[in-house]
Amino acid sequence: MEDVKNDNSISEPKTELEKLTQERDEYLNGWKRAKADLMNFQRDEEKRITDLIRWGLKDIVQEMIPVLDNFELAVATLEKDGALEKGIQMIKLQLEDLLKKKGLEKISVEKGKPFDPNFHEAVGEIDSEFEEGIIAKEIEKGYSLNGKVLRPARVMISKAK
Amino acid sequence: MGRIIGIDLGTTYSAVAIVEAGSPKILENSEGIRTTPSVVAISKSGERLVGVLAKRQAVTNPKNTIFSVKRLIGRKYNDPIVGKDKAWLPYEMKESSTGSVEVKMGDKFYKPEEISAMVLQKLKADAEARLGEKVDEAVITVPAYFDDSQRQATKNAGEIAGLKVRRILPEPTAAALAYGLNKKKNEKIVVYDFGGGTFDVSVLEVGDDTIEVRATGGDTHLGGDDIDKIIIEYLVKQYKAQDGIDLSKDSLALQRLKEAAERTKHELSASFEAEVNLPYITSDASGPKHFLIKITRAKLEELTKNLIDRSIELLDKTINESGIAKGSIDEIVLVGGQTRMPAIADAVKKYFGKEPHKGVNPDEVVALGASIQAEILSAKDEGRRPEGEVKDVLLLDVTPLSLGIETLGGVFTRIIEKNTTIPTSKSQTFSTAADNQPGVEIHILQGEREMAADNKALGKFMLDGIPPAPRGIPQVEVSLDIDSNGILNVSAKDKASGKTQSVKITASTNMSKEEVERLKNEAAKFAEEDKKKRENAEIKIKADQLVFQAEQALKNGGDKVASDVKDAVLKKIENLRSIKDGIEFEKIKIATDELFTEMQKIGEAMYKKEEPKSEEKKEEAPEGNPAGENK
Repeated sequence: MEDVKNDNSISEPKTELEKLTQERDEYLNGWKRAKADLMNFQRDEEKRITDLIRWGLKDIVQEMIPVLDNFELAVATLEKDGALEKGIQMIKLQLEDLLKKKGLEKISVEKGKPFDPNFHEAVGEIDSEFEEGIIAKEIEKGYSLNGKVLRPARVMISKAK
Repeated sequence: MGRIIGIDLGTTYSAVAIVEAGSPKILENSEGIRTTPSVVAISKSGERLVGVLAKRQAVTNPKNTIFSVKRLIGRKYNDPIVGKDKAWLPYEMKESSTGSVEVKMGDKFYKPEEISAMVLQKLKADAEARLGEKVDEAVITVPAYFDDSQRQATKNAGEIAGLKVRRILPEPTAAALAYGLNKKKNEKIVVYDFGGGTFDVSVLEVGDDTIEVRATGGDTHLGGDDIDKIIIEYLVKQYKAQDGIDLSKDSLALQRLKEAAERTKHELSASFEAEVNLPYITSDASGPKHFLIKITRAKLEELTKNLIDRSIELLDKTINESGIAKGSIDEIVLVGGQTRMPAIADAVKKYFGKEPHKGVNPDEVVALGASIQAEILSAKDEGRRPEGEVKDVLLLDVTPLSLGIETLGGVFTRIIEKNTTIPTSKSQTFSTAADNQPGVEIHILQGEREMAADNKALGKFMLDGIPPAPRGIPQVEVSLDIDSNGILNVSAKDKASGKTQSVKITASTNMSKEEVERLKNEAAKFAEEDKKKRENAEIKIKADQLVFQAEQALKNGGDKVASDVKDAVLKKIENLRSIKDGIEFEKIKIATDELFTEMQKIGEAMYKKEEPKSEEKKEEAPEGNPAGENK
């Protein structure tokens, strides 16, 4: 069966001087490595913090997407131009505006455009006036945060005729 | 020479890791995600897609989307396992001229290793982009039960992708490496790997310089996905009973339920109850319908009991086959995201009567272990010790307890917090507590209690010769330095006169482990009480300071302070002074607040008076102290 060698065989030193020289090199290298590690860590950390500020919102925004979905569904079922619809619509807009300020963008989906897995996820196929592989219907909106796709738009694509 | 990366080439997901600064870490892919779906496709527009992009179009392009190819790699077409998988895999397969399997994607047939190579190619390219350097060598993991032909095919996949495969490493061995178990000579380890689609059990034995796989078992069609399915079925059934609507026919509702089921499963690993809340799930003649069902952890455990029991049966079977007694298993390692489910971890624990290892992210542990093997290999290439082991040569200690000094009111002020890696040095500036105080006493202590008296005294010294100044003005910098031998140097410097005093303490590290433990436990035990004591000390300090400040303000204001304001403030000062040294802390606090409110009137009144004259007058603002005051 497969095995893993744990060995770190480094040639045995001969004289005291050799031993000390080897030890010194090992320590010096270790020290250099530690210093370099620290500097690299600091640089990475800076980048990480910048990313964190930009991306720190990702989790909460991601969890709010289903809430946005539900608003869409609610608005769709309400009587058009009723007072209730207007009210809900306004709250939805308020929430969308707020998230937009934080970098959340809707992924635009156009019926009749080709499917692009960079932005769309195909959830099924339907008959439509379009050719095969063309977006026929949007099922759920897609969102990106600061240019990165958080959730692709869920679409139905056109069946082969 | 480029770096060697560690790759967990999984059935459903793959991950890449490297060792950096002595510890392994996962490299995110170009989409910013830590795992990449092991899926390849030729899209309808003829483009080759790998990873999440291939997955996104899988539903509508099942014939040309290849997943789970790991189930086929290195197998013969007439292998009964291939026969079984062929029944449910949606893409076309045929027997090659050599008797192995080939899968069809687009209008071409590919060997499974070519498909795996496409996944590996993406992993390689993404790793290069992350690291900013070329990667041309890798350690790739495979299930322990893979035979020579499957290992060879996996190795070929690596070579096709342009990677020199330095080692094919069994997945359980990688997991053991990630926990550092390779150093535990002669130990016997069981790895319980409950992944998304497969369940594997392995029994390992650590030899002098090897980790040997003694037995393997499991079920290649048992995984977390089965648990998701059970939850979806349950939810559909519940909804039907509750609202009389069958959601299993509604593909959009099912899609939403699927995501909700996964979310619920994750939630129930952390909490005892979760709510599946899907408004507008569907509609009927009466209008929109909503979905709201609560599911408890107990319910989930009841639903999945059969699956978990089955995994334990397989575990037991594999251990029996290994010829190693259950009781002589030293370590148990949990791998795979599904082992986050408390019922699974508990079942394994109950079976062995021993706590399994689960500190490392179970989705990533195999890739992390592969990267440790990669580091061992590159260290050998370069004639150095592996990075993780460099630390063994250069042992860095931590201070087991906090170090600090006593400040006003008998409070212990920490300067070096516990668990700080040494050598280190920290300093903090303090001031005097009284006007014209000629010197400060630096009382050095060690411990976790809030009050100085409860901690262990390490030494004390005086810093004299501070030039006369009002309280709070002198700045005394206290520095604590611990060298690599644990010797503590404490110095205090008056910033105005430059006078310095210092002391060297060697006792700080002489404490036995037991003593450190005792002190820590004591600190935890008295935490509440100590906090109260400290707060009380702070109330007294604040009262004291405010009396002083109020008197200063009255003095500085002189005639400008209206007599009624002055009388009111004086009254409050008297009130506070009479009780501030007592023990009725609530009253002291109230009296302090009252004085503070009253005092503000001095300033207000003065500004009002000055307005018409618009004469400039500097308000003597109460001096804030830079840090705590010293006794």
